[in-house]
Amino acid sequence: MKYTLFPLLLALVSGCCHLKTPASAAAPAGNEPIDGFTTTPMEADGKWHVHDPARPQPQVVTPGATFSHGAPPPSDAEVLFDGHGLAKWINARGTEANWKTHGDYVETAPNGGGIRTRGKWADFQLHVEWASPNPPHGTSQGRGNSGILINDMYEVQVLDSYQAKTYADGQAGAIYGQSPPLVNASKPPGEWQTYDILFESPRWNANGELVKKAVITVLHNGVVIQNHYELAGMTDGINAALPWKSLSKYPAPHAPEVFVELQDHKNPVRFRNLWIRPLHLGENL
Amino acid sequence: MKNKILLLTVLATALAGCSTQKKPQPMAPVEPPKPKIQEIVIDGVAGFQDTPMEPDGKWHVHDPARPQPPVVTPGTFSDNATPPSDAIVLFDGKDLSQWRDQKTGGDAPWKIEDGAMISDKDYIQTTNQFGDIQLHLEFKEPTPPNGDGQSRGNSGVFFMGQYEIQVLDCYNNKTYADGATAGIYGQHPALVNACRPPGEWQTYDIIFNVPHFGTNGEVLSPAYVTVIHNGVVAQNHQAIRGATNWRVPGKYTPHGPTGPLALQYHNNPVAFRNIWVRPVPVVDEP
Repeated sequence: MKYTLFPLLLALVSGCCHLKTPASAAAPAGNEPIDGFTTTPMEADGKWHVHDPARPQPQVVTPGATFSHGAPPPSDAEVLFDGHGLAKWINARGTEANWKTHGDYVETAPNGGGIRTRGKWADFQLHVEWASPNPPHGTSQGRGNSGILINDMYEVQVLDSYQAKTYADGQAGAIYGQSPPLVNASKPPGEWQTYDILFESPRWNANGELVKKAVITVLHNGVVIQNHYELAGMTDGINAALPWKSLSKYPAPHAPEVFVELQDHKNPVRFRNLWIRPLHLGENL
Repeated sequence: MKNKILLLTVLATALAGCSTQKKPQPMAPVEPPKPKIQEIVIDGVAGFQDTPMEPDGKWHVHDPARPQPPVVTPGTFSDNATPPSDAIVLFDGKDLSQWRDQKTGGDAPWKIEDGAMISDKDYIQTTNQFGDIQLHLEFKEPTPPNGDGQSRGNSGVFFMGQYEIQVLDCYNNKTYADGATAGIYGQHPALVNACRPPGEWQTYDIIFNVPHFGTNGEVLSPAYVTVIHNGVVAQNHQAIRGATNWRVPGKYTPHGPTGPLALQYHNNPVAFRNIWVRPVPVVDEP
């Protein structure tokens, strides 16, 4: 996630140095050191720092060969991208969406800005397919990094986490900086992977008080990795509203209708077959 | 879930109750008169309004006036999805070794035809006990369809043997909303009607979380269920109000942390295939 690579690298280097000192609060799990931070604030659970390298790595689960891969949209879905242009998208910087399409997929334009939907939805079901660069390039947060940014505030991490370690709350399928995936259901780089996301928007009352947190369920390649997780707030480092490595908190009240953005994190990541449909939860909210 | 035979039995009992009232037998034990069951039809939907109100105070259990879930035409989704590495395969087309007859505990009495198992004779349940799980299963309704309303391709998926997600052929077939496909039977209709036509395979991807009870049997947290039917969200982390049943609101009876998965035989031959479950780890987040 995180939008500037330079501070990230600096921080990673400092994080690595930190890990080498025995006085470090947290030791990496496994044989190889895991990038991360122990100088960050504690999560609300009081157990882990934000981006803590000691937070347990999710168990690896090999997903089935296919799940919802290539799933056509239901009749009430809006097709966001099916290979035929980016009419449903604008560049996050306000210009025309400039990512290049190749057949049925579109690839991030590194340093060209993210693309976000013109449409907005309150509570929705989103189908996304993505593929990390192959051969892989880089390590940890520098390996096929992108993200599904909801309203430029709430991120589901996109990363090449196949046999590649990074801090647990920054892995593929993490709610970045908050909730590691329940398991690591990553496919190898180059293979298409699916996210089926159920999102409930946060709600505020007329007095500006948060009355319902944002909630998310994610299936990664058919494996449940977030099960009705209540977000602690915004994702750190997406934009200036919450600096990277900060403790999550909710933004000022916003309308329940939100856009979906595909993040430009300077790595070439591919997306295809994106569709979204509203969830009319009514009394269930 | 509603059973025709059961209905007849209850009607017979009700009639017997009436005749008892007319001609009391001095020596017979005095039984209170059984209420008469009245099925009604509203806008072509058969159901009941002589049932108790749901806790929301808006609808009777199996109320035919409760709005029908909107029809959504699904695409293909997780059809033939192969199991993840941590899944337990409950049926792969070959045998019923993971299942038992729920009533007798003996061999599962369902048939296997063309790699599918066909509901027959009795409920079946798994030999394994499960807690919080993700379930994938595929089902196929009989074609040509036979029967209407609750009698068309009726079966069900029972978590912990008692919390039912309805299986029914609701493709161009109306029934009371809380008894339609992907409904939490008798409690909560599906958000949508995403049925495929009979004869086509359909998918359920379900996340089930067990209820928790306190030491005095009080409900600390209800069971929750998320159902994706043919790729369309039909239940979104919906709280279950207790064991599902015909004509009564859900009610909890305290039980342990695990239970069997059961599939219903409801007088109709419904085919199932590609069934697997995997544990959903408990989240350590607030």
